Amino acid sequence: MAMRPDGPDDVRGRGVQPDGDPQAAARSGGSGSSLVTSADRDVAQPIVVPNTLWTSVQPDAYGGVDASPFTHLRNLEGSDLVLSDTARWGQLEVIPTKADLIIDLIRMNSLWPLLSGLACCAIEMMSAATSKNDMDRWGMFPFRASPRQADVLIVAGTLTTKMAGPLVRLWEQMPEPKWCVAMGDCTCSGGRYKRSYSTIEGIDRVMPVDVYVPGCPPRPEGLIYGMMKLGQLVKERRGHWPERPIGPSVPEDV
Amino acid sequence: MTASTTPHQHPSADDPRILLDDQIGQFETVPPYPPRTEREAEFYSLGDGEMFLNMGPQHPSTHGVLRVVLKINGESVVDLDPVLGYLHRGVEKLCENSDFHHIISQVDPLEYVSSLFCEWSPVMAFEKLLDVQVPRRAEYIRVLTGELNRIASHALFQGWMALDLGGLTPILYSFIERDEIVDMLAAVTGQKLLFNYFRIGGVNGDLNHEFMSRLGDWMSRATAQHEANTQLLNENEIFVRRMRGIGVLDRDTAFRMAVTGPNLRASGVPYDVRRAHPYSVYPELEFDIPTRGHGRGGDSLDRYLLRVDEVKQSLRIIDQCLHNMPDGPIMAKLPRLLRPRPGRAWAAIEGPRGLYGTYAISDGTDQPFRMKIHDPSFVHLQLVGQLMKGNLIADTMAVMASLDPVMGGVDK
Amino acid sequence: MDRALRKRLETRFGEQLTGPVRQRHDQTEIRIRPADVPEVMRALHDDPELAFEILVDLAGVDTGTHMQVVYHLWSATTPDWLRVIADGMPRDDPRAPSLTGLWPGAEWMERETYDMFGIIFEGNRDLRRIYMPPDYTSFPLRKDFYLADDSARSPGGGVRHMEQTQAPSQATPSVVRRTVKA
Repeated sequence: MAMRPDGPDDVRGRGVQPDGDPQAAARSGGSGSSLVTSADRDVAQPIVVPNTLWTSVQPDAYGGVDASPFTHLRNLEGSDLVLSDTARWGQLEVIPTKADLIIDLIRMNSLWPLLSGLACCAIEMMSAATSKNDMDRWGMFPFRASPRQADVLIVAGTLTTKMAGPLVRLWEQMPEPKWCVAMGDCTCSGGRYKRSYSTIEGIDRVMPVDVYVPGCPPRPEGLIYGMMKLGQLVKERRGHWPERPIGPSVPEDV
Repeated sequence: MTASTTPHQHPSADDPRILLDDQIGQFETVPPYPPRTEREAEFYSLGDGEMFLNMGPQHPSTHGVLRVVLKINGESVVDLDPVLGYLHRGVEKLCENSDFHHIISQVDPLEYVSSLFCEWSPVMAFEKLLDVQVPRRAEYIRVLTGELNRIASHALFQGWMALDLGGLTPILYSFIERDEIVDMLAAVTGQKLLFNYFRIGGVNGDLNHEFMSRLGDWMSRATAQHEANTQLLNENEIFVRRMRGIGVLDRDTAFRMAVTGPNLRASGVPYDVRRAHPYSVYPELEFDIPTRGHGRGGDSLDRYLLRVDEVKQSLRIIDQCLHNMPDGPIMAKLPRLLRPRPGRAWAAIEGPRGLYGTYAISDGTDQPFRMKIHDPSFVHLQLVGQLMKGNLIADTMAVMASLDPVMGGVDK
Repeated sequence: MDRALRKRLETRFGEQLTGPVRQRHDQTEIRIRPADVPEVMRALHDDPELAFEILVDLAGVDTGTHMQVVYHLWSATTPDWLRVIADGMPRDDPRAPSLTGLWPGAEWMERETYDMFGIIFEGNRDLRRIYMPPDYTSFPLRKDFYLADDSARSPGGGVRHMEQTQAPSQATPSVVRRTVKA
């Protein structure tokens, strides 16, 4: 069993090596590598990736791992276990090229929103999409019904505890690159329902938000301004705020 | 960590961050616990050739977050179970902890398409508790703005009806009409959607020049514009054939299911709260109560056409209001801190969806002790299961859209 | 204020009314025991002189000491609304008969009352939670369910009485108002 040099496999998932030490993997000749065993590179073999990101209630699930040190998405995104998103960053991962600029321009001008109107803000979102304030001018005309085809999740309306699960699932079903716009006071901070027993005080408690559009409801012009800001984000900041924490001041134990 | 060569049980092993169905019991179509009620047991047991289809809380229909579990046999729907609560914001509890004035802005987002009616009903109940006489000019302004809101709501209904059936054009026309009306109302109330305009004892601000000029301008072409918009749909064969004969609601079922409003009138019953139990200045105004579906019951097309008829009646009412508008104050003289006598009051109005009622209990303090809001859309959603028996999946949208529910009111 | 309606109700239901027939503005109110509800409702519905055909609303009320169910009905024979208050249910085990036999449209209204108060309607085929998730354990509109008000934790909180904390640890039975004659 010769020592295999680190090949292109390593670029795929940097987070999957349990001890984070490529030397150990190479040293043990691949038997310690969780990606692929050296002997059988058969396509039919399942690619076994032990879970190092979370625990299950069953101790022997996912191949039995120790508790992950990351409990919040916030901590995860700052660490290096996050899968790198080659869709957002340049192919060289550091220097954006002209091709990336054009890709960003293309993305910016055809952001397809997901139909995620929950409450009153949905009416203003529809009003922003129809004749008088036309979001079609900036390419956002198809409000996709399926999350697999959408770029932007405009959460318009109060998020309740019952709806939080489906909404997060929608967010996770959307493929990268994706952005989230919190429209209306209820999604920014809980709004007028902050004291209620069944609402979530702001969607940034459950998903990362890129643009906050306040208002109750925000005027369609306000939403359009928010989408302009999002376009700016996509084009100028390569679609990624440098530090994008979850929640403005959500305490650790939440 | 040894390399495990056993096949991984996790089906999506390359991204463990995705939550899968077997980990989240709550997202299953069939609830993961054994059925606890008779109806649940009856519904969640499959017959021969049947399956469940989940129209999840996010779906292309625009009513809001309603989840409907369909039990289908092929393409036809055998039974239907709506699951609500995805927009339950606890408004009644918040109202119990709010001042009487604050409640007016709390109840706005209930039926967000027709906010003024959501305000009107609690305001009337509080005025009964306080024994307040509302000035006549304020009553006329309430009726005027209310009927404008009714037209806006029905215009939106037409657009949604078509959008749910797949037509993408009529909603643009509806929103043109609606935007004009709400811009008018924004001139007088300051808001486009959640108006917060009615006050206990009157209204917030008097009619101003911008509102009157916009209104006059709009009234001169309102009838023709509305005719043109409805003609787009009324004469569309696909639209008519998709709706005719679907979801027939007969008179007896409507009474037993506590249906009110346009859905009841489309089944041949001329029950309108404005005439059956007059409030405000409606006794002085002349308008008809259109009904459809006499004898045979009303189908979806009847419900749609009835709302079109109602817009014409609303235009008549607005005309009369403009001609008979009295002068005077727009607010009764009331103290800042309102402390009504302990008691109970009920007030019901005719909203664009039906009878919208409020039951308010006061205990002598400046917060109501209990405020129960009766929303018509809530009651009408029970009908969908009955009306859908034997119809196809595609007719679900026709039936639901023709009942015109607004999930904000359904879920409170 | 329909005096004739009051007389008709008093003659028809004399012994079943637990209180006087009250009238104010355009509402007439009667109080009955929860056990009498199906009988009284059927009489109100079937009797041609009363003919209360439309059940308009079904509400639950928690007065702090006991629970009530309040029904509102409309009839073409009278210009008044009729309010029927089924009073006197205990707070720890409130049970009321269901009206779904007479008005199937009451099913969801009773589900909502159950969800918010915990009042069990006997005879309702579908008494499960409608607003809250199915595994929710509390009943939100009860008076002993307090909203967690985080404005009270702010430095400016507690100035107006609406902002004062009503945490469960501070809740004593005396906090729940007993003087309400609802």
